[in-house]
Order: sequence, then structure tokens, then C-alpha cells
Amino acid sequence: MHLKYESFIREPLVDGNKTYKDVTADICRPIEQKPSKLWYFGLVVSLLFLGFGAFSVFWEVYWGIGVWGINHTIGWGWDITNFVWWVGIGHAGTLISAILLLFRQHWRTGVNRAAEAMTIFAVMCAGQFPIFHMGRVWDAMYVLPLPNTRGPLWPNFNSALLWDVFAISTYFTVSLLFWYSGLIPDFATIRDRAKTKLRKRLYGLASFGWTGTAKNWQRFEALSLVLAGLSTPLVLSVHTIVSFDFATSVIPGWHATIFPPYFVAGAIFSGFAMVNTLLILVRKIYHLEEYITMGHIEAMNKVIVLTGSIVGIAYLTELFMAWYSQVVYEQEAFKWRVLGPYWWSYWAMMTCNVVSPQFFWFKKLRRNIVFSFILSIVVNIGMWFERFVIIATTLYRDYIPSNWSYYSPTWPELGFYLGTFGLFFTCFLLFSKYFPVIAIAEIKFVLKTTGDKAHEDNLALEEKSLEEFIHIAEHAH
Amino acid sequence: MSQKKYWKGLEELANTPEYQQSVANEFNEELPLDLSDNLLNATTPRRDFLKFLGFSTLAATVAASCEMPVRKAIPYAIKPEDIIPGVPNYYASTFVDNGECVPAVVKTRDGRPIMIEGNTLSKITEGGTSARMIAATLSLYDKTRLRQPHVDGKAVDTFDAVDNAVISGLNAANGAIYLLTGTIISPTSEQVIAQFLAKYPGAKHVTYDPVSYTGILLANEVSYGSRMIPNFLFDKAKTVFSLGADFLGTWISPVEYSKGYTKARKIVSKDIKDFEMNKHYQVEGMLSMTGANADERATCRPSEYGKVAAALHAAVTTGAAANTGSKNLDKLIAKAAADLKKGNGLVVSGSNDVNVQIIINAINHAIGANGTTIDFSTPAKNKKGIDADMVALINAMNAGQVGALIMHGVNPAYEYFEGDKFLAGLKKVKTTVSFSDRLDETAKECKYVVSDHHWLESWGDTEAKVNHFSFIQPTIAPLFKTRAFQDSLLKWAGATGTYHDLFNAYWVGKLGQATFDKALQDGIIEPATQTVSGASFSGNVADAIAKATAVSSKSEYEVEVFQTASLGAGGAWSNNPWLQELPDPITKVAWDNYAMMSPKTAKEKFNAELTSINQVDPKKHVVKITVGKKEVSLPIIVTPGMHHNVIAVAIGYGRDKGVGLAAADLGKNVYPLVGFNGQSFTYSADAKVEKTDAFYPVAVTQTHNSAEHRPIIYEYTLEEFKKNPYELIDERREAIEHYLTAPNEEHHEGHDAYGKGDKFDAKKFEEDFRKNGTHYPVHESMGLHWAMSIDLNSCTGCGACVIACHAENNVSVVGKDRVIKVQEMSWLKIDRYFSGDPNDPDTIQTVFQPMLCQHCDNAPCENVCPVSATNHSSEGLNQMAYNRCIGTKYCANNCPYKVRRFNWFDWNDADCFEDNLYSDGRRDDINDDLTRMVLNPDVTVRSRGVMEKCSFCVQRLQDAKLTAKKEGTPLKDHHVSTACQSACGGGCITFGNVNDKESAVFQDRYVNNKERLFYMLESIHVLPNVSYLSKIRNTDVVMSATEKDEVYNKHI
Repeated sequence: MHLKYESFIREPLVDGNKTYKDVTADICRPIEQKPSKLWYFGLVVSLLFLGFGAFSVFWEVYWGIGVWGINHTIGWGWDITNFVWWVGIGHAGTLISAILLLFRQHWRTGVNRAAEAMTIFAVMCAGQFPIFHMGRVWDAMYVLPLPNTRGPLWPNFNSALLWDVFAISTYFTVSLLFWYSGLIPDFATIRDRAKTKLRKRLYGLASFGWTGTAKNWQRFEALSLVLAGLSTPLVLSVHTIVSFDFATSVIPGWHATIFPPYFVAGAIFSGFAMVNTLLILVRKIYHLEEYITMGHIEAMNKVIVLTGSIVGIAYLTELFMAWYSQVVYEQEAFKWRVLGPYWWSYWAMMTCNVVSPQFFWFKKLRRNIVFSFILSIVVNIGMWFERFVIIATTLYRDYIPSNWSYYSPTWPELGFYLGTFGLFFTCFLLFSKYFPVIAIAEIKFVLKTTGDKAHEDNLALEEKSLEEFIHIAEHAH
Repeated sequence: MSQKKYWKGLEELANTPEYQQSVANEFNEELPLDLSDNLLNATTPRRDFLKFLGFSTLAATVAASCEMPVRKAIPYAIKPEDIIPGVPNYYASTFVDNGECVPAVVKTRDGRPIMIEGNTLSKITEGGTSARMIAATLSLYDKTRLRQPHVDGKAVDTFDAVDNAVISGLNAANGAIYLLTGTIISPTSEQVIAQFLAKYPGAKHVTYDPVSYTGILLANEVSYGSRMIPNFLFDKAKTVFSLGADFLGTWISPVEYSKGYTKARKIVSKDIKDFEMNKHYQVEGMLSMTGANADERATCRPSEYGKVAAALHAAVTTGAAANTGSKNLDKLIAKAAADLKKGNGLVVSGSNDVNVQIIINAINHAIGANGTTIDFSTPAKNKKGIDADMVALINAMNAGQVGALIMHGVNPAYEYFEGDKFLAGLKKVKTTVSFSDRLDETAKECKYVVSDHHWLESWGDTEAKVNHFSFIQPTIAPLFKTRAFQDSLLKWAGATGTYHDLFNAYWVGKLGQATFDKALQDGIIEPATQTVSGASFSGNVADAIAKATAVSSKSEYEVEVFQTASLGAGGAWSNNPWLQELPDPITKVAWDNYAMMSPKTAKEKFNAELTSINQVDPKKHVVKITVGKKEVSLPIIVTPGMHHNVIAVAIGYGRDKGVGLAAADLGKNVYPLVGFNGQSFTYSADAKVEKTDAFYPVAVTQTHNSAEHRPIIYEYTLEEFKKNPYELIDERREAIEHYLTAPNEEHHEGHDAYGKGDKFDAKKFEEDFRKNGTHYPVHESMGLHWAMSIDLNSCTGCGACVIACHAENNVSVVGKDRVIKVQEMSWLKIDRYFSGDPNDPDTIQTVFQPMLCQHCDNAPCENVCPVSATNHSSEGLNQMAYNRCIGTKYCANNCPYKVRRFNWFDWNDADCFEDNLYSDGRRDDINDDLTRMVLNPDVTVRSRGVMEKCSFCVQRLQDAKLTAKKEGTPLKDHHVSTACQSACGGGCITFGNVNDKESAVFQDRYVNNKERLFYMLESIHVLPNVSYLSKIRNTDVVMSATEKDEVYNKHI
């Protein structure tokens, strides 16, 4: 075994001097215990929201899109706003699991499982909106390039909306595979610890007969790397393509080349904020503070301040370009965004997304759990407003002033949105009860090198003289 | 050969009888089917089970799939000679409404009239139409129409029952018998009435016009010796001065006047150097549609009309400067007087005051209009009502002197200013008869209701002007048990023949059978040449001036009662959902009436603003308007161009439930605010206007009033345009010059490549932009390429095209609630933009712009549709495949013009969900089986969840192509017209094949009017197939080009 020496200044990724056994026991505990009253309460509330959402969607499908507040000037409202918002949130998971894996950022191990789960659930929520915003949802299969007897008639491959169909479904598939393959050794661990037959059988099935042999591990590592490689471009492509829904149009305020990077940065921004929100809750509820440490939260906060600033620059660039382009429609579009009847949504976006993350330049605040929690929510409110600003406040005053209009949502739109929260939290609560919320196998991998325990072992090395140290290092195996 | 016998078994060898029997029976095993009585109790064998399963599955499948809708199509067992299913027939007829008369051509399909167009043979209207005229088909199929005669509010089965009762009632009448009608312009109906009056001695005929023209009739009696309305020749007038007359919208014969007016304003810009365009001055209190079209406009209180008329009279006779108290007005009068004196002037006034009209006559006399722009040889007969007669009748009724009252075409309980008094009087009349087609406010109080036919079911004739006849012929058999009112009168007069006999006899006698047949086919008989003759003017002008100027207002506010261009005086139109949903040309409000008020007054006195969020908030402040003892509460619609002290309210609203679902309880009835000055009705009155705390939602379809100085409208003064007709070309060049040359060519070389001035090659300019403005290859346009050109100078904003589009294309009505939600479906709308200072009503200028799908050749909607539901035809059409559309609305978002319309609900019972038809209680009749007869069978009724939009009337284009093919000729302009194009009396819309160099649209774009041509949003390279021609104002300044354009500065 090679020697890994890590500086003491570097914060341990796992606190509390854990052994492998502790890790397994800690992470499996929520699965093996009876859930708390809080969990049941949460599940019931989530199911209620989900039910209300289902009713709202039923209402809309039965009566028509007219029950929403959108109109012939503003053809997309909360539906597509929420779609982009959820897809954006769904970005953090892949980023953490894929890109951070490739960059060997070991701190990802504490958060990747939950983040990936969040991604999958968020994409599930996002998918509802483009489906049910269709006037004739029963003909939704027309968007699929299925062989057919209608001509054959194919979808329009020029349409950004069609690219979306491919982008989102690919992203969902790859994320799901990545997440599930990571779960296999952990399922095997739970199977091995199971005390009832049923549990053993179910987790046995879920773990695909994992035995933990060297070959198993070798293939597992290989698969992880391949999937990481596959999903890395997806992190950039999905939101790039979502941004094409707007960027490929002719509407001032949408038609902008800055959209792809701006959307990707925004997506990571909101995704990390959402991960923070969830992890701060999870570590508290399941007592996992030693695995999801302050260091993790701080790392996430650093990404938030970075991406938040990128987004801020993008906002300013848009304004600059509107002025610099000297295109009257572009200028006016931004003028009405900033100062028109929807001024409050623009300034809500600016405050939440650009101003508020700047507090994270201060280490004290970065490491303040309450502040981080509040800010993670503020950021997601801001990101919701960003999408609202881009969609509704672009359409409401475009080229022809006679068409200018206003839009406010109705209860079925609100219900649909709340319903996706219901879906998300139902899934997340079930996940946190039945799946290990932290990757057991992966955390064990970093335990040796960056945990409290490893630091203690390294302490002994500190005592040695340089010659001895070199000797140990050279002969370590 | 030996006969060896081989046996196959011992049974055969033994050959028992049992064996022989079993051999005879080929299938000797029992079928495993239990057919015994105890079938149900039996344990079913396996194969039975499979059989039953198979049968029941099949049965269930068949039963489930057999639920076919009942099809109500019944084939012709014996085909009528002149009906070919699927091929329309056209009949000439005439639209008559309150004396207004427009020759029409009615299109019928399979025996149903579905579309009305103007009769181009008529020299009076030349094919012009109005919104109401086209909407008449919907009124024909109105579900609220009475289906039987009624006695005491109850339906009776036969006319005999009614006839006997009415005749005995008339015979036993213990007072005078009165026949009360609207203006009758039918020669044969007049004969019928004469017969009736002769039968009952002492019977009188009173004519009542709900909107009175008594002032002008009496004034002409004084000035010219006869009660008539002369023939106003707007096409011959070089200067038009209108004192509160809405002659383009509602005044006397607006279709005729619009035709003449727009003709005098037609511009062919290549001839601009020696072109003269009429100049239109308007002085009024409110902003009317006509005022919105004026070149110069000033406001005054309606009570000051006398003073303004006097000042103008003084200015044209003595040259005295006006002193009205308003500088703008004084200036305008001086200018107008100078122009009027140049000759070919025409002064008209909407005032119903006899003295004002006498002064107007004096002015026309003084400027020599009589005999040049006013013709007395063929006076108009459109209006005949004398108000005092009506007032006398009501008084007689209340005094118990009336024994019987028979009413046709009038509804005094609603449209008389003292409706209560009328109803009180009506109670004292023993025999009351109404010919109304519904139980309206008056009919429901009448003892007998004998509904008249709808005009589309009737025979008849009109004489709108002396010697100008137009015929009405039925286009459908009467839908209900109704009877022509002439028949009823004849019956009650004891005549034996029918009206049709009388009609035939009259005309055959007059013309001879052959000429009459031809006349019926043409629809009209008009003199071959039009003579113009004057009349000698006489009268005491000084006295009239003294009386007219003595009128003055003592209160802060004056309320002005007006007719909207859509509903007119009300009548049955209030229940026409098409008209209700047609936004008012000025306020862009549908489905309601309201108090129009100037922005300054609204802001300072009533806390209602025109800016920011209040623009789009449907909830409007309500004010209480009190005139004398009568009060109405109406929401404020802030309207630039209103005089600060004038509040304008529209009639036609506030109807009773009997009028129909679409009309009931919508808005308020403001007829009670009308006054009577002893001689004629007054349509303006001193009013107290008070703020209330209430709000009322109003459906406004356009909430932003400024065109924001964007290059979507171009307007120039006539002088500017004459000086430099090429300004617009230069602007276009400047906007797109970088895209005129391919990227690798030197671009400044291209700037002058198109020729200067009138040498400008508009075609090449466009083609270069088309080719070089994109990275993609350009599609060659071969054969047909449909294109439209819209002349902003000819659009008066009347909305006839909008209704024509509804009728032709089965466009859905959505109802007030959904208009508020901006979910209306109109394919064609008319945008209205203001410029000027809202605090100074005299500076307000208005532009109307018809807006429809621009059929872009590089359409942004097409490439974003994920399923290619909207795509491009090789003929330049942007077309919709409704079946393919899944309703993502992406196309609508990406449409720069926002002209795509989404089916938000199941408007027409056209989708596959049960019981989810959109209902708002107001437009529901539109889905009745009867009302649906109005649908054009050539156009798909769209289902919920799909996008739709203007198709350039693709069904008409297909038809035109087939016609041309059958004729074996290339398709030419005369083969094809869109519905909006044929409806437009102003000739504002030109349509055709732009690849045909002879087509009007090609000529308009590239030859005759290339100087005025522009495309909306040309610079974004969507390549629209609709082009516009700039508006030219015959005035000194275009407000939108000045810094004083506060509507723009404040973005309201």
C-alpha cells in the first residue's frame, strides 16, 4: 500500500475517529430503525401535496390549458418556469458525481449519493411540466421519433423543444444508471446485515448478487469511470439545450448567445443550493454530522458564491449587450424587465442571486449552518425568479406594443408546482428511509486517507526524523 | 383379380349394426358443448370457456367500438335543381337595419346562409359592408328568436288564433290605432301600410328612430322645403368638416360614406406630385371612430356645437375669427374655413338640434357645397322619424287615447328615453302587437307577438335613395313559425293576397317580368348616371344662430350618449356574440359599456390612471353618473382624446333577459340619459359624476396605447410626403443595408445599387435582402405566391373585416371572462395606437392597423414546432395541421407579431372529452345546434389544445385555383379574395399572387406604392408576406414624430 500523507491543516472529511464498522453502522442505522414520527409526518404532507398536484393536473387536462393564467401573449408561465427550475436543480447531482469524480475531489463522497438522488427526483419533477403544458397531452408521443403509419411523419429535428426531449431523457437515463450502480455495493452491505428474510431477499435482488470480490470491485470502478465520462458532457449539454429553447428564438430577451454558459452556471448554482438545503436537513435528522461535515457545507458554499457571481456577471452582460447592440427591441425588453410592471420579479432575482451569495466571501458565514440553510433557500427562490423573469417578463412586452399583456398564475398552476414538491419529497423521504443516504463504500475509501483516523495514524509519522520518514515512504507497500 | 378383403379391425370383421351406424356418422364423437337446460349450472368445460371468452371479448370489443355518433346528414332523395352539395349558391339581397341599407350578396351552402358580402354592383356602397351586416347570419340562427306567435306571453300554435283576436281587437279599439315602426324604406311595405291604414280609419303611422335624426330632417324642411336627408358625396369633397358626426361608424349611412371618404384618400404614391387628398376636420366632444381618422381634430363640449357651428359660419361668411374659448378650436375653425372656401367642401354635423343643423345648411350653402358635394336630386330616405310624434304618441297612450298599438322594428321600452312612461302608457292600450323576433323589453309587455321573418328569410325591397332600389330575397325557408309583418298587416287589413303577391305584382308591373328577374338577380336597380343637383337655401340663419348659441352647459361634466360601431342602436344586435366580442375601435373594449373619460379628468378627479399596472388590470373604477333624476354607474375607461369635461356612454347594453344570453345584464342601459328639448332628442346632457368605491372588471383587448416609436407604423404628413416621398425607403435601407450584400462582398457598393428616387428597384432590394440576410439557401418561389398589402391610409378601424373573418373561418367566441384573460381567438384584430399629449385631447392622433398572421417566408413559428404541425406551403402560406398540433405554444411565443391563437378550452364541443365544453353562461348559445348552422362547412372547427391562426382563407384559395384550372386560365386577381378583403369597404386590403406582375398586390408593392411600402419588423428577416402602406395625414404635424408625444414619453 502506498503512503498517503495529508496535511493536518486540511480538514478531515470524516470526523469522529470512525472505524469501518462505525461507518457501516451509522449509515445503515436509518434503514434498519423504525422511522421517526417526523418522517411519517413529512411523508403524509408530501403525499398531500402530491395529491393536490395530481388533482390540479387532472383539472387542467380535463378542462384545457385555459384554466391557467397564460394567454396569447404570454404562452409560457409557471409551467416552463418550473420546468427550467427543476432541471437546473437536477444539475448538481451529476456535477458532483461525475465532474468531481474526474477531478478527484474526495469531499464529494459525503454528498454525492443524496445529490444524485436529488437530481433524479428533480428531473422527474421537471419532466412533468413540458408534458402537461401540452394542449393535447394525449398526443405527446408525436414528439418521439417512432416509426409510424402517418406518412411516415417525423418530428421536427430543427426544434429546440425536440432537442429537449432527447437531452432530458438521456440525462435522466444516465443519471439513474450512475446512481444505481453506485448503490449496488451498499445494497449488498445492507443485505449482509439484514435480520429478516424479506429484507435479505429484496436487498439481495437490488444488489444484483454483489459478493465484493476483487473482480466485482474492479468492474465497479471501471463502470463508474465510464459513466462519469458519459455524464460529464451531459452536465454542460442539458442546460445548454434547455437554454436553446430560448436562445434559438427571435424574441428580444431570449435571442442571446450568452444563454448556454449562463444557464449552466445558474443550474449548478441552484443545484448546489438545493443539495445544501437537503443535506443540512438530512445530517441533522439522521445524525450524520460526522460524515456531512461543516467542511462539506463550506465547499458547497464556495461553489455557490462562484456560480452566483458568474450568474451575476451574466445578468450585467445581458444589460450591457442590450445597450451596446443599439437594437431598440432588445433595449426596451430589458428596460421593461427592470423597470416595467414586473420590476419586482427582476429585483427579487437580483437580490437573491447576485447580492445574497456574496455573503459567502466571509468564512464565518460560510461555516454558519443556519445562515447556509437560509441562504440555500434564498438562492433557489432567486433562481425561480430568474426563470420567471426570462420567460414571463420577456414575453409580456415584446415587439408589438398592442400585444403587451400581463400574467398571474391561477390555482391549478400553483397546485401543479406544489404537486411537484410533493413528488420530490415523497421520493426523497422514501429514498432516505430505504437507501443509504451516504455512499458507504466510497466513504470508507476516503476514511483511510482523510478521516480523523488517518490523521491520527499520520501523527505517528510526524514524530519520525526525515530519514526515517523517507525510509518508510520508500518501503511502504 | 381376386377380391381380397382386408379388414382394419375386429369391429369391421364382425360388422355389427352399431359399427355400421358409427361409420355412417363421420364425426361420431359428441361435440363437447353443453346445450342442455342446466347450462348455467354446469361446470363449463375448458373449450366452452374459451368459446365464451372469445365471444364475449369480441362482443365487448364490438359493443365498445360501436358507439358511433349519430350523423344527422340526410342526403337529398330528390336533388333540388340548383343545389349541388358542397357548392355554394349566392343570392343578392339587402341588409336593412334601422333605415340603414346596404346591398348584399349572401352565400348559402346546402340551403344555409353562412356569409354575407357587399354587392359590388351597387354604386352607392360598391360592395362595402359593416360588422353588423356580416354578423346578421349569426342573428338569423339566434336561439332566442321566437319560434311561434305569442299571446299574453304564451306560445300559440296557429296564426289564425292570433289573427282573429287581433282583428277583433282592432275593430273594437276604443281609441286611435297606431302603427309604430322604425324608418320604412320599402316602397311595397309602404303600400301595405297604406292599405292597413285605409282599412282602419283614423289609424296613424308613427315613425320612430331609436337614434334620432329629427334635427337634420326638420332643418332641411326649413332650409330646403322638404323633410329629407340629401345625398352627401364624400368622394367629391376636398374638405370635410364634421361637427360631432360619426359618419364612418354610425351616422345615417356609414358604409356609403366610408366608401366615398376612403376613395378621396386613396394614394398612389408614384403620382404623388400632383396628388390631392381630402382634408378632414373633426370637432367633437368624445373621441369617435370618425374623429380618430380625422386629419385635424379639436374638442369641445357637445353643448357648444351651436357655438362652433356659428363660429364656422361666421368664418366662412364674414371671415370673422372664432372665439370659442379654446385656442386649438379657434385655429382649427380658421383653417377649416379657409379650406372650405376653396370649394368642394362638405360640412356635416351629428347634432340632433334643429338650429345647429340649420347653421350647417347655411354653411354648406355659403361654401357652395349644394350641387357639388351635396346632391338633392336623389335624397336619402334612411331616416324619417320625427321625435315629437313619438312623444305625442306616448302622451296619448298615457292619456288613454290609444286603442291599439302595433309595433315593428322598435323597442321603446328599451330605446325610448322614458321607457317607464312608455310601459305605463302601454298598459292603458288594450290591443298591443309587436312584430319583434324575441321577447324583448317591449314585446314581453305586449298582448300579441307575431314575429317577423329575419331579413334573410324575407322578400322585400328598399329605396335608400330616390330611384335607387335594392331587393331582399329569401336565402333560406323560414326557420320558425314566423310571418312577414307585411303579411300580418295585409291579413288584418282584410286583404286576400300575400305580401309576396303584392311585391311581385308591384315590380312586375313596374319593370316587366324579365327586367324584374334580372333586377332580383343583380339585387339592385340604380340610375345609369348620377346627376348632382343643388337646392335653393332659405331660412332665418340669424335666428338659428341666436338659438343655438344660447344653449350652454351649467355643470362640470356633460355626458354624451353614443352608438358603438358594433352594436349600433341595440335592437337584436345586443345578443350577437360576434358583435359583442368585437372590440370597440377606440377603447378596444368588448362585451360592456363604460364611461369614456379623458386621462386628465380620470386621474385628477377619479383616481384612475392609464399607466403602469393599471393598464392591464381589468378592474376599473366605477363612477356614478346622474342626469336629472336618472343615474347609472359605469366603469371608467380612460381614453385619450376625450374632452376633459365630457363623459361618453354607449347605448345597446343593459338588456333584458328576453333579448338573449349574450346580451342579458351586460353593461347598463343609458337611453334614459337622453333628453327631449321639445323638438328633438338630445344626446348630451349636464351630468353629475361621482366617484364610488366599486370596481368592475372590463374586457380590454389592447392595454398599451403607444406604438413606442417602433418601426411598425409609419406615418407622414401629406406635405412631408410630397416633399420627400422616399423617406421610408431610406429608412428601410438604413435598417437593413448590412444584409443587402453577401458577407464576402463590399457592402457600401450595394447602397446605391437599387436606384435613387422613383428609380428605386423595390423588387431587387427585397430579393437581395431575402438572399443575403441569411446563411441558408433561399427557396425559389415558383408559380403562386400569396401576398397581402394593407393600406393604413384606408383603414377606418370599423371592424367589418374582423367579423368577416369570424364568419368565414369559424373563429370561436370566448366570452367576456376569457377576453379579460387575453385568451380571445380573433385571427384578425385591429390595433389602435395613440400619439400626442393625453392631457391635451386636441393633439391626440390615432392610427389603426389590421394585424393578422404575416405568413412569413422565414417563419419563426415553423422551426420551433417539435412536431412540424405548422409548416410552409410552396405558395408562401404558413399553414397549420391541426391534427398534428400537440399544443406546446412555442410557436405563439416565438411569433414576433403574437397573432397565433390557442384553443385554451373546448370552445365548440370539438374535442374528445365529454362534458367539458367551455361555458360562461353568456356565449353558450353559440354551441346550440341551431346556432352552429352558421358554421362554414369548408373550414375545420378546431378542437381544444391546438393552435390556430389566419390561413389567408386557404379554402378560398383552393377554390380559386380550381376555378382557374377549370377555366384553363392562369389564376388572376378576380379569381380570389380573402374574407377580410371583400368585407373592407375602404379597399384597404389587396390580396393576390405576387409572382404575377399584373396582380394588384404586385403593382401596389413594387410599382404604384413602393414609396409607402413597409414590412412590419422587416429587419429581423422573417420575410412576411403581408406588407403595409404608410399612413399619410393631411395635416401639419405627425404627433408621433414630435417630442410632444406624451403617450410615448410616458409609455401609456
